[in-house]
Amino acid sequence: MENIYKPYLMEVKEIIPETPDTTTFRLKFKDESVAKMFTFKAGQFAEYSVFGEGECTFCIASSPTRTEFIECSFKKYGKVTSALARLNVGDTIGFRGPYGNWFPVDEMKGMNVVFIAGGIGLAPVRCVIDNVLDLREQFKDITIIYGARSVADLVYKNKLKEWQDRNDVKTIVTVDPGGETPDWHGESGFVPTIVEKYAPSNNNAVAIVCGPPIMIKYTVPVLSKLGFKDDDIITTLENRMKCGLGKCGRCNIGNVYVCKDGPVFTYSQLKTLPQEF
Amino acid sequence: MEEKFISQVKLQELCNELIDNNFDIFIPKEYGYQKLVKGENVTLDNSLKPTKSSFKDIIFPKAEPIIYYKKNKSDIEIIDPQINKKTNIILGAKPCDAKSVAIMSKVFNWDYKDEFFNIRAENTLIFGILCNFNDEFCFCTSVGLSPKSTEGSDLFLVPLNDGYGVRIISPKGEDFYQKYNSYFTTVDNKLIEEIESNVKEPDIVFDSEKVRNWIKENFEDSYWNTLGEYCLGCGQCAFVCPVCHCFDIVDEDYCYTEGRRMKNWDACQFEIFTLHASGHNPRDDQSKRYRQRISHKFKYYPEKFNEILCTGCGRCSRGCPVSIDIKKIVTEIGSFSEV
Repeated sequence: MENIYKPYLMEVKEIIPETPDTTTFRLKFKDESVAKMFTFKAGQFAEYSVFGEGECTFCIASSPTRTEFIECSFKKYGKVTSALARLNVGDTIGFRGPYGNWFPVDEMKGMNVVFIAGGIGLAPVRCVIDNVLDLREQFKDITIIYGARSVADLVYKNKLKEWQDRNDVKTIVTVDPGGETPDWHGESGFVPTIVEKYAPSNNNAVAIVCGPPIMIKYTVPVLSKLGFKDDDIITTLENRMKCGLGKCGRCNIGNVYVCKDGPVFTYSQLKTLPQEF
Repeated sequence: MEEKFISQVKLQELCNELIDNNFDIFIPKEYGYQKLVKGENVTLDNSLKPTKSSFKDIIFPKAEPIIYYKKNKSDIEIIDPQINKKTNIILGAKPCDAKSVAIMSKVFNWDYKDEFFNIRAENTLIFGILCNFNDEFCFCTSVGLSPKSTEGSDLFLVPLNDGYGVRIISPKGEDFYQKYNSYFTTVDNKLIEEIESNVKEPDIVFDSEKVRNWIKENFEDSYWNTLGEYCLGCGQCAFVCPVCHCFDIVDEDYCYTEGRRMKNWDACQFEIFTLHASGHNPRDDQSKRYRQRISHKFKYYPEKFNEILCTGCGRCSRGCPVSIDIKKIVTEIGSFSEV
């Protein structure tokens, strides 16, 4: 019998603390043969589990172009994420996936790409950024605008530095007003304001937006004002999920299952759905 | 034309032999479909109310293990559960119950295949029965079924004097008949048809097409708020429903080193059903949750799977602690678009 609920086993190889409550795991399949056949695309998600605590849904944060490991980032919030945060290097977790659709990285080739992320929303976007940077010559201008509540809440600080040091990527990092430290050299302001200030061109461009609902709500009108078409604004939704397989019935928006037809949607697709997300 | 016939006495004997042959037979009682004990009287009264809960849990159990695990320090061993491959016989399912497996089968097989469901469905033989019950909550005819509908049944019983006319519906039913044909005789088909034509059907109270259109155009209508004010969010409607299939996945440790991962029934009427970790909840109000229930049954599921997620059995209304009547609601929704 094929058991669709049976997870693969993965070993925690490295634990990278990102912020006081956010952690990144570097994971490797315990079974070599699974590691060899496993592939995924940028934007897909998985069900991670701590045995005895339960399953939890996050995106795969590492790029599909880097196959030797998988990374996921999570914020300590509930039962499972708290249990994950207690794990040590060498511990085993369960992994089911990859599930869902992906960002149209192939269609984006030859275009200017604008990445806009807020808070932990950088995790799914980072996967695409790394994917795009690994194929750098196939894309035109790349702009990254990332913001968090405070300097301490910025995730992937090493990555941010790496991107800022590259001269073929324009990286802007901002924190919400009041979240600066005395030695902060980045921007200060909410993400939509900073997007408006830097006004990325809509010419042959696609914008990938991910962050808290409130950030998306105020960023999309700014992009529209800059001339981005609804089809060229892409985001990823994070609804509560259990099965990830289109069965358990909780992630749906209208007749769309976020776990199967999403999590990646264009803004024009979102407009056709019932406003219940 | 002749049809198969089984007398009450022979049915009793057949059941005894089936139990001897290691079949589990379930017959409708007041609260649900209960396992028949050997020697127990087989009484199938088709004029009784539908059982309080459907036989859904025989194919889709309330709680079932999907994996077992053993923990040894940082190492984990996963063990697949074994599904009991015993054949279940549902004897005397009303048409509104018999159809349920075929409806749920769509969601459990549309992409990934849930073999837990499939193996159980495959190992279940359904004897439908002509329904002779009709109360103010019944509306099977409005969702495309009827008291004599054979959809979903493998064999279909029509009560006659001292026995039952038997129609063979599916290949699975035919196989069963071939194996046990010594218990069956024949009867004039006219007798069966006469009984069938005398059955009083519930009136058709809504047009499902109109209901679908109204829901589509009126997502933000204040009508939903009215419903949300009544509903307590207890979820009994989902648990007694023959086709509600939402579930949760939960780990249960027996001890520090062993446990199992369970697939448990869940319901969209619960507040935490869609609650995000961030505290954001797309359905943060009972009216939104009730809207989801109605829309899922009469719009989303039909659009996706071409099947109304309701069999018109009326159980949710009969059991509702605050007397929310789904038949009345959908009838109202159907009538809105006529005005």
